[in-house]
Amino acid sequence: MTHAASPAGAEKRRQGINFRRYLTSPQSFLVLIILVLVGVIGAAKPNAFNGAFVVAPLLTSIAIFTIVGLAQMMVLSIGQMNIAVGNMAAFGAMFTGMAFDLWDMPFLVGLLVGLVAGSIIGGLTGWIIARTGVNSFIVTLAMSFALLGLVPTVYSMLSPGSAFTSKPDGMEFLGRGTFLDVCMVGYCGPAAIPVMVVPVLIVVLFVGGLYARTKLGREILLTGANIKAAELSAIPTNKRVVLVHAISGALAAFAGILLATSTGSFTPAIGNEFMLQSFLGPILGGTLLAGGYISVTGTFLGITLALLIRRGLELFGAGVEMLNIFLGLILLVALSAERIRTVRRRRPVEVPAETPPDTPSEKEAIPSGASA
Amino acid sequence: MSTPILQARNVTKSYPGVKALDNVNLTLMPGEIHALLGENGAGKSTLIKYLTGVHQADSGTLLIGGEERNFANPSDSTAAGVGVVHQERNVIREFTVAENIVLSRTPKKCGFIDWKKVNSEAARCLALMDLDIDPGTPISSLSSAQIQLVEIARALYTETKVLLLDEPTASISDAEAAKLFKVIHRLKADGAAILFVSHKLDEVYAHCDTVSVLRDGKTVLSDAALADHPQDEIVNVMVGRSLASLVTPERTVDSTQEPVLELRNVTTTAGHGGISLQVRPGEILGLYGLVGAGRTELAHAILGRERITEGELLVNGHTAKIRSVRDALHEHGIGYVTESRKEEGVFLDQNITRNVAATTWGKLAGPLGVVGAGRERELVAKYIDELSIKVSSQDQLAGQLSGGNQQKVSLAKWLAADPRILIIDEPTIGIDVRTKRSFYELIWGLAEKGLAILLISSDLAEMITLADRIVVMDSFTLAGTVDNTHHYDTMSQDVIRLIHAKALV
Repeated sequence: MTHAASPAGAEKRRQGINFRRYLTSPQSFLVLIILVLVGVIGAAKPNAFNGAFVVAPLLTSIAIFTIVGLAQMMVLSIGQMNIAVGNMAAFGAMFTGMAFDLWDMPFLVGLLVGLVAGSIIGGLTGWIIARTGVNSFIVTLAMSFALLGLVPTVYSMLSPGSAFTSKPDGMEFLGRGTFLDVCMVGYCGPAAIPVMVVPVLIVVLFVGGLYARTKLGREILLTGANIKAAELSAIPTNKRVVLVHAISGALAAFAGILLATSTGSFTPAIGNEFMLQSFLGPILGGTLLAGGYISVTGTFLGITLALLIRRGLELFGAGVEMLNIFLGLILLVALSAERIRTVRRRRPVEVPAETPPDTPSEKEAIPSGASA
Repeated sequence: MSTPILQARNVTKSYPGVKALDNVNLTLMPGEIHALLGENGAGKSTLIKYLTGVHQADSGTLLIGGEERNFANPSDSTAAGVGVVHQERNVIREFTVAENIVLSRTPKKCGFIDWKKVNSEAARCLALMDLDIDPGTPISSLSSAQIQLVEIARALYTETKVLLLDEPTASISDAEAAKLFKVIHRLKADGAAILFVSHKLDEVYAHCDTVSVLRDGKTVLSDAALADHPQDEIVNVMVGRSLASLVTPERTVDSTQEPVLELRNVTTTAGHGGISLQVRPGEILGLYGLVGAGRTELAHAILGRERITEGELLVNGHTAKIRSVRDALHEHGIGYVTESRKEEGVFLDQNITRNVAATTWGKLAGPLGVVGAGRERELVAKYIDELSIKVSSQDQLAGQLSGGNQQKVSLAKWLAADPRILIIDEPTIGIDVRTKRSFYELIWGLAEKGLAILLISSDLAEMITLADRIVVMDSFTLAGTVDNTHHYDTMSQDVIRLIHAKALV
């Protein structure tokens, strides 16, 4: 029997398969394209990757949009979508702005207030979806419209110039600081790497660990793979749906707050660009729209690729229109690739009939107990 | 001798690592019902998919009415008069019955759909099947058995010279099967050839004329007259060696033990009334009834998916309020192996590890809910071994396993949860004799270990083989209980009398 092969042999074969799968995965393909792009841009414009003026802003937007991508990926993992990521980002950031401007809260407390606000609005969305069974697209679309109206209204009521501009200690450091500001025993870090990378990396590891290692992550994936079977496997599917939307809302809010700290003010326009980008990262990275399969690394790589292309086109003087055409094409290619992959995964593979099993339990067989 | 309607010669089809079909030969003559037999994974479905242009073979020829043909897709085969009903349901759920029936060739007038004709044609096909279904009914409102019958009606829409039926009777009731056989015999009288795949040998012997047997992708018996080959011999040919007959273990249930699961005069929102039953530790209680008698719904009521409005549900002698499958497992130790394994039992796109471990993460998880991958794989390996599940590795997707192995995965998931009460719903639908046997032994073994088992099945022979007592259910009420004496004839008479007595009142 195949599974009874020597453990060492089986392990080796497993590694072999994993390695091959790794090389042919969409993620390694993305790494390849990114490397080629970096090479091409670097060769054509040797100054392109020079220091603080190009690389640091690029890394800042990669950091912010990776969080946006993860916010969408979480919801995709249960086979749903969140059209309201951008608006949830605006909503969460608004609360942080209010905390700074109106309540004079310190930086970290204000940040926490925004995250909680984001998770509450996300959790509410998830609760409506789980409770009513209405399609997530419709619920998040409705939520998106509601917030689209609510956020600017609150801003114009509470702030003179429709923006919260207080900057508590630490905001500048997180939003615009680079490792050049981090000095130890006389040495300072490179100016190309923004400080923001650190908290983002922690969040990425947190989300990755959630899916790879924990009970919750596994239950979320099975809920996405087949919600009916998950419920019949004693998984609390409704709770998982609410949880996923709550985390998605918190991540969106985090991205919104990071964007605000990097631009220096909280405005209703935060998150305007998030929605389309949020799909681009996960889909390019191999996350299945149907649910049940995600890739955190892929989401990061997908976002990196999209932003790298944007940066490259800017360097070559192409306009925003050109850029959008490009991104549209990429998304189309990514979606077709996903479709092909889904079809392949679903295609039944006839399992080897193998050698006749000779375990005792299968030794004898005669139809029906009629004669017994 | 007349020309064969369909002849496949030396058909070979390989998938990476396996030969699914290896020099297969099949000849269908006009006016014959031809049985195609073999264990799960022997290549029966692959052969049918080749004959209908779903898959292409690596080599081999296909003759239809003596002419060489090469079907590139299913519409080619439909046009050539080859009708098929696959094992999986194949309908557009958003469409009506009529729209599904005429799908392959929708009647048109001046380029627009001729709705009058659509409905009249659909009605004609349904009438051929004696089906009392309005053509305008949406497919989604039909039961899975009804959908299957509609699919057979659909195969009759185009002029069908050859009809291929892949396990058509696996999930329909005896009454519905009788209708199906009536149609098959009528087609046969009209000179059509029918290829009939089934695991139910009684049916095969009652209706088929000729037989071919596949084993590991090879034809081990080709176009033989069924009358020349008795049932025992055919089974040996299918399995590839001679098999001893089943030894039913001596079973005793300690009747002094308190029942672990008890229903007292229960009424449910699903429509049950006055249901009382008891299951003791180590006992296999059979819940028998025809399709639609309310057995699965009763299981759902126990699991809290339907509400109990009157009466009492007791677990271990205490009144239990169960709201979900999760409650049932974690609070009361009740597990439920579902009847529809593909839709509800396994996660087809997930690997074996995830599938089997799904119920155990609560137990495996350490602080912060972290699940140790090593412990998880170890646990799953144990059940793969215990249940002899044939997998190439734990990373294989469940959708790539054969039906029998998928069912084992579905069962393993619940054994891993370590329940004290296990409800098993139709465990052997569409499963071959040998795997069926290993299931019987597994279930006996579980009862031996003290599990209380509530077994739901519409296969009476299976019930009589396995159950210690059989509770007969009819239209959501209990018709009576039959103690198992293992005398098939008297017991089946008792059971059938119970169902009919109920119907007569």
